[in-house]
Amino acid sequence: MEKMSRVTTALGGSVLTGRTMHCHLDAPANAISVCRDAAQVVVAGRSIFKIYAIEEEQFVEKLNLRVGRKPSLNLSCADVVWHQMDENLLATAATNGVVVTWNLGRPSRNKQDQLFTEHKRTVNKVCFHPTEAHVLLSGSQDGFMKCFDLRRKDSVSTFSGQSESVRDVQFSIRDYFTFASTFENGNVQLWDIRRPDRCERMFTAHNGPVFCCDWHPEDRGWLATGGRDKMVKVWDMTTHRAKEMHCVQTIASVARVKWRPECRHHLATCSMMVDHNIYVWDVRRPFVPAAMFEEHRDVTTGIAWRHPHDPSFLLSGSKDSSLCQHLFRDASQPVERANPEGLCYGLFGDLAFAAKESLVAAESGRKPYTGDRRHPIFFKRKLDPAEPFAGLASSALSVFETEPGGGGMRWFVDTAERYALAGRPLAELCDHNAKVARELGRNQVAQTWTMLRIIYCSPGLVPTANLNHSVGKGGSCGLPLMNSFNLKDMAPGLGSETRLDRSKGDARSDTVLLDSSATLITNEDNEETEGSDVPADYLLGDVEGEEDELYLLDPEHAHPEDPECVLPQEAFPLRHEIVDTPPGPEHLQDKADSPHVSGSEADVASLAPVDSSFSLLSVSHALYDSRLPPDFFGVLVRDMLHFYAEQGDVQMAVSVLIVLGERVRKDIDEQTQEHWYTSYIDLLQRFRLWNVSNEVVKLSTSRAVSCLNQASTTLHVNCSHCKRPMSSRGWVCDRCHRCASMCAVCHHVVKGLFVWCQGCSHGGHLQHIMKWLEGSSHCPAGCGHLCEYS
Amino acid sequence: MVSVINTVDTSHEDMIASRAVLPLQHDAQMDYYGTRLATCSSDRSVKIFDVRNGGQILIADLRGHEGPVWQVAWAHPMYGNILASCSYDRKVIIWREENGTWEKSHEHAGHDSSVNSVCWAPHDYGLILACGSSDGAISLLTYTGEGQWEVKKINNAHTIGCNAVSWAPAVVPGSLIDHPSGQKPNYIKRFASGGCDNLIKLWKEEEDGQWKEEQKLEAHSDWVRDVAWAPSIGLPTSTIASCSQDGRVFIWTCDDASSNTWSPKLLHKFNDVVWHVSWSITANILAVSGGDNKVTLWKESVDGQWVCISDVNKGQGSVSASVTEGQQNEQ
Repeated sequence: MEKMSRVTTALGGSVLTGRTMHCHLDAPANAISVCRDAAQVVVAGRSIFKIYAIEEEQFVEKLNLRVGRKPSLNLSCADVVWHQMDENLLATAATNGVVVTWNLGRPSRNKQDQLFTEHKRTVNKVCFHPTEAHVLLSGSQDGFMKCFDLRRKDSVSTFSGQSESVRDVQFSIRDYFTFASTFENGNVQLWDIRRPDRCERMFTAHNGPVFCCDWHPEDRGWLATGGRDKMVKVWDMTTHRAKEMHCVQTIASVARVKWRPECRHHLATCSMMVDHNIYVWDVRRPFVPAAMFEEHRDVTTGIAWRHPHDPSFLLSGSKDSSLCQHLFRDASQPVERANPEGLCYGLFGDLAFAAKESLVAAESGRKPYTGDRRHPIFFKRKLDPAEPFAGLASSALSVFETEPGGGGMRWFVDTAERYALAGRPLAELCDHNAKVARELGRNQVAQTWTMLRIIYCSPGLVPTANLNHSVGKGGSCGLPLMNSFNLKDMAPGLGSETRLDRSKGDARSDTVLLDSSATLITNEDNEETEGSDVPADYLLGDVEGEEDELYLLDPEHAHPEDPECVLPQEAFPLRHEIVDTPPGPEHLQDKADSPHVSGSEADVASLAPVDSSFSLLSVSHALYDSRLPPDFFGVLVRDMLHFYAEQGDVQMAVSVLIVLGERVRKDIDEQTQEHWYTSYIDLLQRFRLWNVSNEVVKLSTSRAVSCLNQASTTLHVNCSHCKRPMSSRGWVCDRCHRCASMCAVCHHVVKGLFVWCQGCSHGGHLQHIMKWLEGSSHCPAGCGHLCEYS
Repeated sequence: MVSVINTVDTSHEDMIASRAVLPLQHDAQMDYYGTRLATCSSDRSVKIFDVRNGGQILIADLRGHEGPVWQVAWAHPMYGNILASCSYDRKVIIWREENGTWEKSHEHAGHDSSVNSVCWAPHDYGLILACGSSDGAISLLTYTGEGQWEVKKINNAHTIGCNAVSWAPAVVPGSLIDHPSGQKPNYIKRFASGGCDNLIKLWKEEEDGQWKEEQKLEAHSDWVRDVAWAPSIGLPTSTIASCSQDGRVFIWTCDDASSNTWSPKLLHKFNDVVWHVSWSITANILAVSGGDNKVTLWKESVDGQWVCISDVNKGQGSVSASVTEGQQNEQ
C-alpha cells in the first residue's frame, strides 16, 4: 500500500500500536489464532506451528512448537485456537483426526499437553468454550462433533450431525450451552451440549457446503455463515425459525468469516480459492465491500481480528507462506473507486443524472472536500439502527429536459427539416432560410442568411443567383464580389454610424447598387464614386449630422429609387483610375472594423433594403471585380463558416456551403468541407432525419461524401430474359446478349424509373406497369407470373 | 434482508425533472437515438428504460453480473442493439437484443480486478470495445464475426488502476478524397484513458495493430475519474475533458494534429470530487457532475473562456440553460 499509517489504540490499559506489515513463514499457513493479550499470534499449517510476537514494526518469532526429530502427523494442523481465558492454552486440529492441546507453561521444549485420538478423519475445527476453561469442541470430516473436558482423557459427549462432514463449530456467546455447527451439505445445526442425542434446530443455510460461521460478538443472536455458493448470510437465531437478515454476495466461495469488533455491521471474509483478497463487508451494503486487503499472493487461509475490541487490526495467514497485519486505514476501499453518479448527455440536449439520494439529506452538514480519502458517504452519517439502510444507498435517477428555447436540440431538427438547400434561386433560398431561422428564434443565423443574400445577390442580380453547384461547376461564374461587411455590424439595431441615410445617398446619386441587368450608369456616377474624398465624406461625414434622418429609412422609399442608382457590372473595368485613389478615409475604417474594408477596395456604401424588418447596410462596394481578389468575400464567408462550425453549429456551415455552392467552396479546403459534411450527416442520422441526410449527401460535392449513398446499397439484377444474374454493369445481358431493361409494356428500353417484379424479373416503366396492373395482375410480359409489387 | 426499492415513480415531481428511485446508480447512458436509457447499479443489474416522450418504461432488466455494475455503453445501432456493461466482478458482458429480448451475447473475463469503464469505438472502426480495469490494464475487444471476439490487452496502462476510457472520434489522416470509394479509409484509432496514477494517457494503434502510448497528460493531482473526448464537429481541433478526485476539470486541446501537443486549460476547481464529464453531441456544451451533487453546464465563450451557463441541483430540477446556440456569448 502506498500509505502506511500507524495506529495506536488504547484499550483499557493495553495499547495497541502497529502498522501494516507482513513476515515470511517457512511454510503455508492453514490457520491462525490470536492470544488474548493481542501481542502474540499462533500460525499453524501442515508443516508449521509457530508463535509470533506482534511488535510495533515487525513480527518476531517467539516459539516453534514443532519439536522432535520425526515430525508426527499429529503436528500437521488444520486448525488452531488459542484459549481466550488462559494464555498458556492452545488446541490444534490435526489432519489425521487427532485433537491436541498445548500448554505453553510446560517447562520442557515440548509443550504438547493432551492428545485425543477419537476422530476417524481430519478434524476441521476446534473451539474453546468462551467462558468455561476446560471445555473444547471439535468438528471433523467424519461427521461427528466431540466435546472434551480437558480434565479428562476422553470426550465427554459425541454429537452426530447425520451428515458427511462438519466444517465449523462455534460456541454461542449468548447461550452457555449452545453451539452451532455447519455442514458440507449446506445445513447449519444448533446443539445443546447437554443433549448429544439430537440437535436443537437445523436449517439449510446455503446451496452447497457451509464452510464457516461466526457468532456476532454483540448482537448475540446473530450468526454469520459463509458457503461455497459465494454468499455470506446473517441469521437471526433468536426467533423460532432462523431468519435470514442479510445476504452478501462475494465473488468467490467464502472460507472464513469473522465479525469486525466494535462495528456492528461489518464482517471480514476470505476465500479458499481463486480470490486472494480479504474483504470487509458492511452487511447492509451487500454488493461492494467496504474495505479490501490485497497483500496476499495466494489464498488466504486464516483471518483474525487482533483484539476483540479493536476494529482496526486484522491478522491473516496465507498459503503464500506469509503472515500479515492489516491496518484498516490502509485498506483499499472499492467503494471509493466506485462512481456514485451517472451522467449522460442525451441527443436532444437532455441530461440524465443519477446520484445518491442520501446526498440531498446529508448536503447541509457536509464539510468541503479536503483531499483525503474519506470514508464512504453512506457510512458517514450516524446511523439509527432502525433506519432502513437500503434507503440510504439508493439513488435517484433524474432526467432533465431542457427548457424550450434552451440548450436543447429541437432547433436542429426543425432547422434541418425546414431549410431549403437547392432547387431555387439563391436569393430565395437565403430568404427562406433566414425566415426559418428567425421563426426559430435564431436571429444571428437569420441575419447571416440575409447577409449572404446581400453579398451574393443584391437586388437585380438574380441571374447569378442560380449559381449553385449544379450550375456553377468549374468556377465559371466570375462572380462579382461586391460587398465587404463585418459580421458584427450586421446585427440589427447597431450603432447609428453604420446606418446611412438612404435618401441622402440618392440625392447625391452616388450610392451604387450593382445590377448586371441595369445599364444606367453615368459618367457623373463614375467620377463621383471614384473620387475617394467625396464619397467618403458623404459616407460618414454626413451621417453625423443627420442621424435623425437615418432612422427614417424605409424600404418602401428606397425601392423605387433602386433603378436610378444601380451600377452595371460591365461598367467597372472602365474605371481604372481607382488604382490611384488614396486609401479610404480613416473614419471608414473606424466605423467598420473589418480589416478587409480598406479604402481602395471599398469606396461606396450602399444600402440594400432586403427585408422589411431590417435595414441593412452594406458598408462598401467593390468597384472592380477584376481588381479584387476573387476570394475577397470568400475569406469572410469562410471565417463565418468556421465560426459556426466551431460553435457546434455544423448545420449552418454545411447549409451555407451547399446553398452557396461553388462560390465559397474553393476557399475552404476539401478536408474541412468533408469533415463538416460527415459530421452533419452523422448528426442528421442520429436524429433519424434520413431524408435530410440523403439530400445533403446528394447535394454534397465532395466525392467521399456523395459515395456514402452508394456505399451500403447493393442491387442484384437478373436478366429479364434468361433470368440469370447480370454480371456486367451494362444494359446488355452478357449471357443472352439482349438488352435487359426493356419495358414489358411498351418494349422500349427503360431509362429512369424502372420497376420490376422480383418474382419473374419482368418490369418496365413505372407508369406503364402501374397502368397495366390496374387491369391485370398477371405479368405484362406474358410469362404467366402473378406479379407482386411492394 | 435488504429490500431493494426499485419502484419507478412515473408521476413527475415537477414539470421538468422526472425521477425514478433505484438502488445506487453508477452510470446512465442514453442510446444513439436518445430513445433508451441504460442504467446500472450496485444491485448487479442493468436496466434499460424507454424514455421516449418523457416517459420511463422499464423494458429490460439484465441479470448476469455478480457484483456491482459500474458502467454501461451502447454500441452504434448499425451493429444492432448492443450494450456493454462492466462490473466489479471483473467481467465485461456484452448484451444483445434479438427479437425484442435482451440476452448475454459475450462475457469477457480477462481482468484481474474490477472493470471500471467501457467505451465503444466509433462505428467506422467496427465493433471495438475498450475496457479499463482496476488491475491497471486496458483490454480491447474486437468483434471478428460469428460471435468471436479478439482480445488485445495493454498491461499496466495505469498503475493502481484505470478509471475511464474514451475514444477519439473517427478522423482520417489526409483527405478522404484520396481513397477511392469502397476502399476502407485508413483510420488512426486513438483513445484516452484516465487512471489512479493521476494521468491521462492517449493511446494509438500502430500499423501492426499494437497499441502504443502516445501521450501522457499531466495536470491532475489525484485520481482521474473521467475523461471524455469531444465529438468532432466542425474544426479539426481535438478536445478532451478530464475530471479528477482533486476537484479540477481540465479541457485539453490539440490544435495541430501533427505536432500532437496538448495544452490544458483549467475549467474550474470544484470543492468536491468531480465524477463525470459529458459532452453534448455538438461538443459545445460540457456537463460536469460532482460530489456536491450538482450538474453544471459549461460553454466556451468567444474569447476562449469557459463559462458556467447553468447550475443544476439534482433535487431542484431544471436545467436552466440560458443560451441558445451561443447568441448571448457572441454579443
